[in-house]
Amino acid sequence: MTTFWPCTTPEKPGKAALVVIDMQVDFCAPGGWVDQLGEDVSNTRSVIPAVAEALTIARDAGLAVYHTREGHKPDLSDLPANKQWRTRVHGLGIGDEGASGRILVRGEPGFEIVPEVAALPGETVIDKPGKSSFHATDFDDRLKAAGITHLIVIGVTSDCCVQSTFRDGFERGYECVILEDCTAAVETPNHQATMEILKAFGGRWGTVSDLAGFRAAVEALHG
Amino acid sequence: MVEPFAGIAANPYSWPFDGRWSADDSALLILGFQNGMVAALDAEPELAVAARLVSAAQAAGLPVIASRRGRAETLSPVAARRAATGADVGDPIFPPRTPEWQLAEALGLPSDAPVFDHAGDNAFYSTGLETWLRQRAIRNLVLAGLPTEGLLHATQRAANDMGFECIAISDACKGTTEERHTGQLRVTAFGNGLFGTVARSDQIIAALNAS
Repeated sequence: MTTFWPCTTPEKPGKAALVVIDMQVDFCAPGGWVDQLGEDVSNTRSVIPAVAEALTIARDAGLAVYHTREGHKPDLSDLPANKQWRTRVHGLGIGDEGASGRILVRGEPGFEIVPEVAALPGETVIDKPGKSSFHATDFDDRLKAAGITHLIVIGVTSDCCVQSTFRDGFERGYECVILEDCTAAVETPNHQATMEILKAFGGRWGTVSDLAGFRAAVEALHG
Repeated sequence: MVEPFAGIAANPYSWPFDGRWSADDSALLILGFQNGMVAALDAEPELAVAARLVSAAQAAGLPVIASRRGRAETLSPVAARRAATGADVGDPIFPPRTPEWQLAEALGLPSDAPVFDHAGDNAFYSTGLETWLRQRAIRNLVLAGLPTEGLLHATQRAANDMGFECIAISDACKGTTEERHTGQLRVTAFGNGLFGTVARSDQIIAALNAS
């Protein structure tokens, strides 16, 4: 399994965490924000079964599971003015009322994780105002407190929050793996460009594997 | 009274988003233009553009900030893995105080330009850069860097999460391949500026020179 983990194998299954990024209604369900922008959610929807499978593997093996959700406080005090402006000009601004409640606002229906891959009791959900799960959150503190050394990062979108979390995880000393078949972007060319950048030179920030590689690596941990 | 500069017809929108930028609230960020990196990427043309940006920014009274990446003294296992792959990794990280680690002299940096040292790609991580900018009420960042998908993107991405209004200068950046350069900047501008905006240097230089 040397090709799955970037550098070393976790000491035990509990040292590895599956991190599921932003599988929210606003990003990957009909009636969510991306759908209301008139963009195609078929790419982000298409990975739901694979993400569910990765969750099953992790839960069965005793890996820690973290979920993230991108969104802002109802008073929008954590929303940068340029982020609000860009999304408004794009068609529907963060904080504005839409078909699934206020866009990317905590507590609204669109902010919730889609039911197919919802968090189970006991799993940690990190609510984040930025793209990176490490920006303005206690994610790093929580991982360190739990003794996590390895991150498997999946979810949406690959070109934005997934690669941001993967690369920031590397920078903070975590061994990071992305499962290519468990992540997607709204636009396929952006997904492909991101994967090529992450795979270059054998993976400068971590490794890129897939569901089958994850299953085998987890079995080896228990072997 | 500081005169505002003209807006930049950037991709995907006229930068900055609210039209407000001047020598009082903006800075030029020059990332990783070190001798070894310029050589590894054959980035002499991009270095020349970065030098023109430095010169124009200085003349217009815009703060010029440089970042320099170097190997940390204690490497994490993952960083050690990367260091061990050495020259094959495309954008090697040089030990501090070696000639390869030094900032390129051709940049013509002002002698009092602040320099931020970092071990990874992101010039904000574990440096005082954000504090430096906030103390001076800087809100707009003009970025140039090597490589595009490395230091430039990681730093612009972090700045964007922090709320800075960013513009990457495409001809003052170079990737480890042309495809990675183009692909990364495409992602930057996606969705009306997911990570900010992109423009060529001539526009920024013209705006600075007109001040």
